[in-house]
Amino acid sequence: MSDKEIQNPKSKIQNPNDFFELTTESLNVGEIARRVVPPGCGAIVTLDGFVRQFTGERETEYLVYEAYEPMALKEMEKLINQAHAEFQIENVGLVHRLGRLEIGETSVVISVAAPHRRAAFEACEWLIKELKRTVPIWKKEVYRGGETWIEGAS
Amino acid sequence: MSPVAKSFMKVSVLFFGATADAAGMREIEIDFPADAKASDAFGEIVGKFPQLAQHKLLFALNQEYSSGGETIKNGDELAVFTAVSGG
Repeated sequence: MSDKEIQNPKSKIQNPNDFFELTTESLNVGEIARRVVPPGCGAIVTLDGFVRQFTGERETEYLVYEAYEPMALKEMEKLINQAHAEFQIENVGLVHRLGRLEIGETSVVISVAAPHRRAAFEACEWLIKELKRTVPIWKKEVYRGGETWIEGAS
Repeated sequence: MSPVAKSFMKVSVLFFGATADAAGMREIEIDFPADAKASDAFGEIVGKFPQLAQHKLLFALNQEYSSGGETIKNGDELAVFTAVSGG
């Protein structure tokens, strides 16, 4: 999968400082976080979700993420719009990586800028919870002796 | 338009991750009778690829989650996948 195949559309969301993207490139957490900062904000909360080595006893070797790309982008856009409706926040950045990821590599970054920290924390937590429930992205876990597509809880 | 073209329509069906493995393919075109309900179409797809039934499935119609009640149109894009696991 090359980045060229991923169609990241120009955002139709109301806030031009929001962004949502899929990429096969390495994610730079700090750079993504800084993109959401407007002058009227006093806090950013950033989630850096990365590949875990141990799930209980099982040791992961690497993960492969796959998305239904156009639908995933639509669902990411919906989440950002819903977050603005529910929380006092200024800007949201939502980037998910696809393809093969090694242990410790960042798979998802969610940055929320807000005038005050509480709304940023709450919105960030809500966004990752909803992303894991609704955005059509799947991870295949490859471990010693096997591999399995992880199926979500919902 | 010929009678055949009137009474059947062609839709594409997409599979991802576990459902792509179960179906043994990522995409297929299937003919459905005109005015088929989405739920009927999804039922037929699962019947065609019985290994899909081992999974808890979600369905999408034209890149939106489907409740099954929609009517399928010619050229629609259906998708069958398992509960999502991004993040």
